[in-house]
Amino acid sequence: MREFNIVLAGVGGQGILLAAEVLGTAAIKEGLNVQVSEIHGMAQRGGAVVSHVRIGEKAMSATILEGHANVLLGFEPIETLRNLKFASEKTTVIMNEERITPPELTAKQIKYPSMEEIMEKIHCFTKKVIVLDAARLAKKAGNILTENVVLIGALAAAEKLPLKNSSIIEALRELVPAKHLNVNVKAFKFGYETVKKGQD
Amino acid sequence: MSNSHVLLKDSLGKKVLLLGNEAIARGILEAGISVVTTYPGTPASEIGDSISEIAKDTGLYMEYSTNEIVATEVAAGAANCGIRALTAMKHVGLNVAADLVMTLAYAGVRGGYVIVTADDPECYSSQNEQDNRYYALLSSLPCLEPSNAQEAKDMTISAIEISEKLELPVLLRTTTRVSHTRGPVTYGRTIKPHLKGEFIRDVKRFVMVPAHSRPKHSVLLKKFEMAKEVSENSPYNKIVQNGKSMEIALISSSSAYNYAVEAADMLGLDVSILKLGMTHPLPEKMIGKFLKKHAKAIVVEELEPYLEMQIKAIAKDYAPNIEIYGKMSKPCFPREGEFSTRIVATGLAEITGKKVSIDFGKIDEKYAEVTKDLPRRPPILCAGCPHRASFYVIRKVAGERALYSTDIGCYALGIAPPLNVGDIMTCMGASIGTAEGISKATNANTFAIIGDSTFFHAGIPGLINAVYNNHKIVVAVLDNLATAMTGHQPHPGTGMTGMRSPTEKISIEKVAEGCGVRFVKVVDPFNVKEAETVLKEALRFDGPSVIVFRAPCTLIVVRERRRKGAELLACKINEKCTDCMACIKVLGCPALIVEEGKVGINEALCSACGLCVSVCPYKAIECVKIR
Ligand SMILES: Cc1ncc(C[n+]2csc(CCOP(=O)(O)OP(=O)(O)O)c2C)c(N)n1
Ligand code: SF4
Repeated sequence: MREFNIVLAGVGGQGILLAAEVLGTAAIKEGLNVQVSEIHGMAQRGGAVVSHVRIGEKAMSATILEGHANVLLGFEPIETLRNLKFASEKTTVIMNEERITPPELTAKQIKYPSMEEIMEKIHCFTKKVIVLDAARLAKKAGNILTENVVLIGALAAAEKLPLKNSSIIEALRELVPAKHLNVNVKAFKFGYETVKKGQD
Repeated sequence: MSNSHVLLKDSLGKKVLLLGNEAIARGILEAGISVVTTYPGTPASEIGDSISEIAKDTGLYMEYSTNEIVATEVAAGAANCGIRALTAMKHVGLNVAADLVMTLAYAGVRGGYVIVTADDPECYSSQNEQDNRYYALLSSLPCLEPSNAQEAKDMTISAIEISEKLELPVLLRTTTRVSHTRGPVTYGRTIKPHLKGEFIRDVKRFVMVPAHSRPKHSVLLKKFEMAKEVSENSPYNKIVQNGKSMEIALISSSSAYNYAVEAADMLGLDVSILKLGMTHPLPEKMIGKFLKKHAKAIVVEELEPYLEMQIKAIAKDYAPNIEIYGKMSKPCFPREGEFSTRIVATGLAEITGKKVSIDFGKIDEKYAEVTKDLPRRPPILCAGCPHRASFYVIRKVAGERALYSTDIGCYALGIAPPLNVGDIMTCMGASIGTAEGISKATNANTFAIIGDSTFFHAGIPGLINAVYNNHKIVVAVLDNLATAMTGHQPHPGTGMTGMRSPTEKISIEKVAEGCGVRFVKVVDPFNVKEAETVLKEALRFDGPSVIVFRAPCTLIVVRERRRKGAELLACKINEKCTDCMACIKVLGCPALIVEEGKVGINEALCSACGLCVSVCPYKAIECVKIR
């Protein structure tokens, strides 16, 4: 495998950097080369956050070329749109439907775009779109804060991801506090199963 | 989570995923560096922060110093007692430390000493994107440039060795992409820190009076010649690929190297590639010979044409006819912003006449169409941030006509509407002196807005100047008891050290009084009424005044509450709400939302700071327990 590229995009506070670290750690466990880029500093303050994960021997630079994401993992619809330049018709977009209204819209009292508008825009780039309600699944797993792990589960169900579920769960064991591990593993499974079911 | 810290894992020979900055921290352990000092700053912060987490377990000494020059003084002082030391800072920190560094280069150091400068192409979290490799050129100090996490670790160790060999401080220059990219790192053995040093008196070497400096300058230049030899033989300067036709030579360093390799591969170029890891001094002979074998050279580097300029000088002696492409006489790459494989591929295509197989123009067009009206999502002050309360009060009392000289920290986000506090901001600590000049020139009510960490870092000389030269300004110190912007590091006012030991808390109000300020008051910004009264008094006061707006950073408060399992509070809108939007219009708090024309509160974000309760004209908001 030359490279497998994942863009993770969302809003500060959604656990994107941890999700990216989990994927990177899982790749190392499989003996794969990996580069995980992060932009820090502003992350906690509700700004847009993006991380690129590149797996495979060819992955040298930390950032993904436009049109070259295998998966765009959107934690939030507007942030998914903001990162569409990394998508092509071959890309699978996995998107959390939870909307976080940008303060600019609140201030100007403009409505958040509708799901139809959002889907239409994504379809300009790719028809392979999976939408899920990560908040609901995270709550079902026992903690709303595990939305990020639900999304990793969904990603794990995507085609050709070169990571085994067992490696991802191992990585979770390393990176999340022991007392939250069970909830996180559940969240992972819910995300995974939801996408698998949808694909059948 | 396993108990032991990732940096202390017993993983000899195994690959571990580390952030570039963590890799430097691991390098610190493997190099036996025993004194680590820093002042936080993105993208350098995780170096000091991860060392702070493990300092007690490893026996090395770590401190958050008051600012970068003090950090450098402390570490260089220790290094001159034969101890291995390192100081980490962001690029602009080196401006602060430069006065020391320029002369320290003359005296040199006895123990190994590394200065890490983390540059920030694209200004992801900085006020400029200066290229600190020029400091190597300016100071004659050696400089290493890693391109990934593994090299970041390895070069930390090599930098210490070079430093000891030459008795010179060595610069280790990263960029945001190197510091903030996680990659596989193979662990080597650690060396136990050695903290017992000895200062051997040598007045001619260490006391830089002119009579001593002159000969020491010659010593520096001799060391520089030795450094050239080190560079010629450095494993980090190597030809990684010889082209078939030997027509085109690519020369690159740092993250730009990764883009260059990928771009050349993408275009299917037949090129030779020279990777430079020790970029000061350059391996002149090696580069000269490499140039001689080719007809064209392409220098791929982010920011300034630092390599290109020197390579051109080398070419003059070795290969005068070679064509050199880069950013100077044959410009193909931008001199500003961060690079990407796309930017490098586009430049290479232009030079070689090859075609990029990807139609970037088409992607751009489609992307522009899809994101035409996409709302931006810049960082904003957190819900419950005490700075919001301070700005609300300041703006309410002093209004549109007052001028606001602000400073660097979370509170710089106060420039966003609706708060609109911040008319000028340049570098850390500049708010106070700048306000003085503005006040002299305009006679307007002039504020200096400065954070607590920034006050200690560089605010005090400006404040003394206000008293000494009688500038009538209001200095608002926004004291949230942390260096919040860079990751909540402690500072001299917090009572905590980098070793995680309690210490004396330095009082900002006492410092201000000690500087001779006669109007010094402390207020709680969430006590809006009282804060307003004090601010009005300050504006009437004839002379410089200091108001300390003190309330802890909300992120810390909420984290503490969660950790302790304490009850969580949030604000709630009651039936008295008329949807007048007063709260929405003046506060810009992300927890206040509007849905279908109705004001609501996002419970998950709200920390019950109560500012909106004070602002609501109808008493329609109250704080309630949610868990
Ligand atoms: C010379 C220099 N060093 C470090 C930084 C990085 N930096 C940006 S903001 C900041 C800290 C601000 O802390 P404080 O003044 O307490 O404000 P807060 O973020 O807590 O509101 C630092 C260290 C910088 N910009 N310039
Ligand atoms: S991190 Fe703290 S100081 Fe910074 S914006 Fe958030 S609450 Fe305010």
